[in-house]
Amino acid sequence: MFKPARLVAALVAGATVLTACGGDDDAGAGNVLTLWHYEGPDSAMGVAWAKAIEEFERTHEGITVEFEEKGFEQIQQNAQMVLNSDEAPDLMEYNKGNATAGLLSRQGLLTDISAEVAERGWDDLLSPGLRTTCQYDERGVMGGDRWYGVPNYAEYTMVYYNADLFAAHGIAVPTTFGELTAAMDAFVRKGVTPLAVGGKEYPAQQLLYQLALTEADTEWVRDFQQYTGDVDFHDEAWTHGAETFADWVAKGYLDSDAAGIDAESMGTSFMAGEFPMMVSGSWWYGRVQSTVTDFEWGTFLFPGSDLTLGSSGNLWVVPENSPNKELAYDFIDITMRQANQELLGNSGGIPVAADPEAITDPKSRTLIEDYQTLVERDGLAYYPDWPVPGYYDVLVSATQKLINGSASPDEVLDELADPYQQHVDGIGS
Amino acid sequence: MTLRRNLVLALLVVLALVTLFPFLLVALNAVKSPADYAANGPLGLPESLHLQGIVDFWNRVDFGLKLANSTVIAGSVAVLAVGVSIVTAYALGIGRIRGRLWIVAVFLLANLMPQEVLVYPLYYLAKEVGLYDTKLAVIIIFTAVQSAFGTYLLASVLATFPREILEAARIDGASRWQVLWRVVVPISWPTLSVLLVFFFIWTWNEFFIPMIMLISNDNQTVPVALGVLQGQRLMDATAQSASALLGILPAVVFFLIFQRTLTRGIAVGAIR
Repeated sequence: MFKPARLVAALVAGATVLTACGGDDDAGAGNVLTLWHYEGPDSAMGVAWAKAIEEFERTHEGITVEFEEKGFEQIQQNAQMVLNSDEAPDLMEYNKGNATAGLLSRQGLLTDISAEVAERGWDDLLSPGLRTTCQYDERGVMGGDRWYGVPNYAEYTMVYYNADLFAAHGIAVPTTFGELTAAMDAFVRKGVTPLAVGGKEYPAQQLLYQLALTEADTEWVRDFQQYTGDVDFHDEAWTHGAETFADWVAKGYLDSDAAGIDAESMGTSFMAGEFPMMVSGSWWYGRVQSTVTDFEWGTFLFPGSDLTLGSSGNLWVVPENSPNKELAYDFIDITMRQANQELLGNSGGIPVAADPEAITDPKSRTLIEDYQTLVERDGLAYYPDWPVPGYYDVLVSATQKLINGSASPDEVLDELADPYQQHVDGIGS
Repeated sequence: MTLRRNLVLALLVVLALVTLFPFLLVALNAVKSPADYAANGPLGLPESLHLQGIVDFWNRVDFGLKLANSTVIAGSVAVLAVGVSIVTAYALGIGRIRGRLWIVAVFLLANLMPQEVLVYPLYYLAKEVGLYDTKLAVIIIFTAVQSAFGTYLLASVLATFPREILEAARIDGASRWQVLWRVVVPISWPTLSVLLVFFFIWTWNEFFIPMIMLISNDNQTVPVALGVLQGQRLMDATAQSASALLGILPAVVFFLIFQRTLTRGIAVGAIR
């Protein structure tokens, strides 16, 4: 019934497999550029960067680009370990911010590309608001003096609206803050909840921050994001933000069960035509564009506010252990050129340095023109969860309390102040 | 009597439906187009059969290669871990060496520790010996982890092994080695094959350590490939369902093939 010989044979077979997979070292330096990113193939960045790979191989004869698509989670968990080994890629996409690119720069895992940035003129293409997230100081805090990455796209939040719902209820699309609230009142009177909000994830905290920004200026943002001054969570801006948010909840501008809605459900409910408006980021743009077919829609900047949430996109970073840094710089350069920037814009993304005239799709052109309006008034205010590691969850819980009415605006702001202060105290020591 | 039987039957049907519901939901959404999903939500029936999501995912991550990687890794681990378990359990369960309780306890530590704790040491070791980003590294790690559990289980099974048979074999002049291969292994074969199947499925489903150790896409396993679809802010529900369906299928197929072995193993243990 049983033959030990068979088991031995199986073991031997297993062992051969083992030896077979022992020697898969990469070819290494010289004629291969290893590139990692985590954008989907149909996204604007995925499309533009695929074209950049073609362009690179055309202009660099004999050199192939070895592109590997990674999961976001995989890069987040792994970056530090990978970059510390000789399996590091030559060029990769990485998240901007103190806890990500800043941390790696402090650990010496990223190449300081300041010289290259100046020589190739990338800094001239980027607005000051974008440069902040590319430069880090020796503590790894953004807004420093050394360049560790370059973005070729940007992102910002805006109001998405369903034009058909506005028309059906005879309500005009708002252009000022007063008109916005008046429009929402009109919707509420007709029994329609005007705003799609997800309180379980980032959307609610972004709305809270946006409301605070209507009463803030760039210095307020710098103090909050780069720890350059005292931050008072009971100042005019924060108080206005939290109180207006609570007021909007009381007036029924958002659903009473919004605290349990995640971002995905918020987006799909807007795209299904259930809500007239959604305040969220340009990362939805391409998806709304390809998904929504049965109603007219559009976007506008959040009215009554010079500042809005947004920043550079993720960065191209060159690992310190990359054997082909020159090739990596050449590739970045291709993605910064007009042709690639225009392709990115025409695919629904926001290029950092494209001419809006070259964008053929009218909706995409509005998107990019709005972005340039923002840049001109230096209006990118980053995101509320950036300054403190783990702040995201604090903000989620705080805004959920505002939605449920289980805490007053004042108490909620206290809740935000404590972890922020603790973190800032920790940086000094 | 029939009323009670019917009641139990109805209860079982409900339970089966509850168990199958997630599978159904995944299968349902895997064959929807994204527009259909946005219009009718996750619970609606698909308007038409949309297989493009599955095809796209397959091509996007080179799924055939991932299947091969996972099979090589899980298969090698299953065979090697069972082999190691037999030898160690023979010493502990039948050889009854001194301090076996402590040895088993130490072995179990490997299983009890969260993998997050093991990751950094494993990463440094693998890097030092040049095995970082190789399948061999993952095979060695999981052979150790799984055989720890295998040793624990087999040692207690072998501790109750009928002494008469062992003595009879010794009297007939069998060496220790012969006792192991000619007597112990054939008799406990059903248990061993159950272990083999479990090790295969457990290793197949591992996500964290393969994600850390297998960097290049050429070495990745199926669960790691599924992670590619989870974006920073967006997730594509239909593509994710398609990938989940592809990810579950091999394990289900493997289970169905070896399902008879499983039941046999459990039954044999019962009669003794």
